[in-house]
Amino acid sequence: MRRTLPLIITFLAGLVMFVQFFVPHKLSQDALKYMTDWMRIIGTFALVLGIGSLIQRHTARIRQRHRDAPYSAVALCCFLAMVVLGIGWKTEEGSPFDWGFTYVFMPLDATMFSVLAFFMASAAYRTFRARTPEATLLLVASLALMFGRIPLHQALDPHLAGVAEWIMAWPATAAKRGILLGVALGSMAMSLRLLLGIERSHLGTGKEG
Amino acid sequence: MIGARRLGRLVAALGLSVAAGLPVAIAAVPVPEGGAGPAQPLRVPAELVEAGFPAQLPPPPPDLDPSAPAAVVVLPDAEDDSGAGAKLFWFPPAQTPSGMRLGGFRLYEAADSGRFKPVLQPPRVSADAVCKVQVMGGHWPWKTYRARVAALYIPADTGDGNWGVKGERRPKDLKGEWVLAQEVLSRPAGPFTTRPYAKWFDLKKINLLVTALLYCTAVLWFLRHARRGREMYLRPIPGIEAVDDAIGRATEMGKPILYVSGLDPIDSVSTIASMIILGRVARRTAEYETPLLVPCRDPLVMTAEREIVKEAYLAVGKPDAYDPESIFYVTDSQFGYVAAVDGMMMREQPAANFFMGYFYAESLILAETGATTGAIQIAGTDADTQIPFFVTACDYCLMGEELYAASAYLAREPILLAQLKAQDVGKVVIGTAITLGAVAATLAVLVGEGGVWARYLGKFLAILATQ
Repeated sequence: MRRTLPLIITFLAGLVMFVQFFVPHKLSQDALKYMTDWMRIIGTFALVLGIGSLIQRHTARIRQRHRDAPYSAVALCCFLAMVVLGIGWKTEEGSPFDWGFTYVFMPLDATMFSVLAFFMASAAYRTFRARTPEATLLLVASLALMFGRIPLHQALDPHLAGVAEWIMAWPATAAKRGILLGVALGSMAMSLRLLLGIERSHLGTGKEG
Repeated sequence: MIGARRLGRLVAALGLSVAAGLPVAIAAVPVPEGGAGPAQPLRVPAELVEAGFPAQLPPPPPDLDPSAPAAVVVLPDAEDDSGAGAKLFWFPPAQTPSGMRLGGFRLYEAADSGRFKPVLQPPRVSADAVCKVQVMGGHWPWKTYRARVAALYIPADTGDGNWGVKGERRPKDLKGEWVLAQEVLSRPAGPFTTRPYAKWFDLKKINLLVTALLYCTAVLWFLRHARRGREMYLRPIPGIEAVDDAIGRATEMGKPILYVSGLDPIDSVSTIASMIILGRVARRTAEYETPLLVPCRDPLVMTAEREIVKEAYLAVGKPDAYDPESIFYVTDSQFGYVAAVDGMMMREQPAANFFMGYFYAESLILAETGATTGAIQIAGTDADTQIPFFVTACDYCLMGEELYAASAYLAREPILLAQLKAQDVGKVVIGTAITLGAVAATLAVLVGEGGVWARYLGKFLAILATQ
């Protein structure tokens, strides 16, 4: 029963949602809203599990005096500080919680995002080498695209922008659509496997087929 | 009093509506003798005229307030397939009380024989000197509804942001006095129902249903063949074949394996595919007793993956080696998660990194940081925008459908392999359709509009189109 009940629930829920997609009646729309609301509720309860895991992991590291214990202490202090500020002084604009979010969290978030630019440069430096004909083609296309996008392209060659647009509009889009078609078919097949109970390892049953 | 000719026109309009089977209710506003009418002639929408409403706005009954909205009409919303919609039409009042101005309108609705209650969204509708149309949803087809419209009047010198209706919250940053509008209600319009337009099947999606059923048939057909034990050829995918090598390398070096299952929640198919691959990786790490690190962004994913890894350790007979703290929740903030995983990579120095699932902008940050530590990296994602980054920075990359196929490749179960064959059939069908469409489009351009190829292309696109 421990293995069968989740499979039955998966099949019935999947069948209901499949039928719901094709039925525009108000009953069907309300059923979709009902399921979506319940997903959000369950996700919120699951957050309690996540926070429990977070606290348990970091307190264990501090207790064991792990070499990374200082990082765990910082993580726990910041977590508790935001909880206290949010509960004590609320989260409205101008509150201490809002200050911490706007002037501490958001700059850190933006910093991590901005690191992406440097990683792109290093990845491009490693990748764009003319070792094979395909790599050479990739290098030429990338250079044409980069030069066609920068503001100086008019000074370099007015046609570069057109070349860049053509590369994005035709070969890049064609390849992207090919990948998306494969992804669509693959996700359909995977969904069918899950609905029919052919794929069960995600339920932790340890048994396939 | 309404003149006989005008009364006759009104009766004719009602009769036409009843004959058409559409519920129509008209409430007209009186214009007292010598009273001022609207400054400009009001245009009656074609939709109302088609429903039987007179093309010219009829005169209002004399016993009604001239400052109430005129001619409230309700029609079922034919475009709403759920059968829950209605369209409310009304005309502006004939007169405005002195010293006041018309700020807007408020809608009221009553179900069956209940009381009229204000429609909450939107709380009020702007005032225009033309016929207003408001689409109202959320009606049950077996109930009858009546609607009224209230004209909202405010003192003429009141600013646009300084007034509201009863029940509306005053803005916190408002400077000045908050004025409550005076409401003048129209006569009720209705009863109406939306039953005639409630559909149980959306015909516009029939092509999707046929395609899905054909695909499922193909899958089941190949499944039947697989059960007969027929060998199926699969092209080798280097990324999948390298999984065992990566785990072996980590075991030899005595370093942990890092497994990132993407940033999407558990309802994403790619996350489930990633969890299935994690189960197989966990079996190997359990056999070799290699440390496994699985940082999670979603608590539900963490819970499911703990169960999967635990089952994997139980399956190889090493339950004591399982450490539940090796699968842990980090944060649901995108770049906070990435920062934490990057820190883990720099401190723990895993020998093998697996990035399986759906990723966003952080994919290159993860892959590049892992590359600097010298780890072997195997990525798999169906995010088409991130595939180039993984191809660049990782040793192996499973692109798109290869992520979904990985579980079948690793298990080598005939039933799972049959699905891959059905996918290939689907790709052949799609490729054929694309080729036919491209040929038809080319010939349509060459032959010109109005030719047989243009008509064929039009029909072909109509079959494929969906809304």
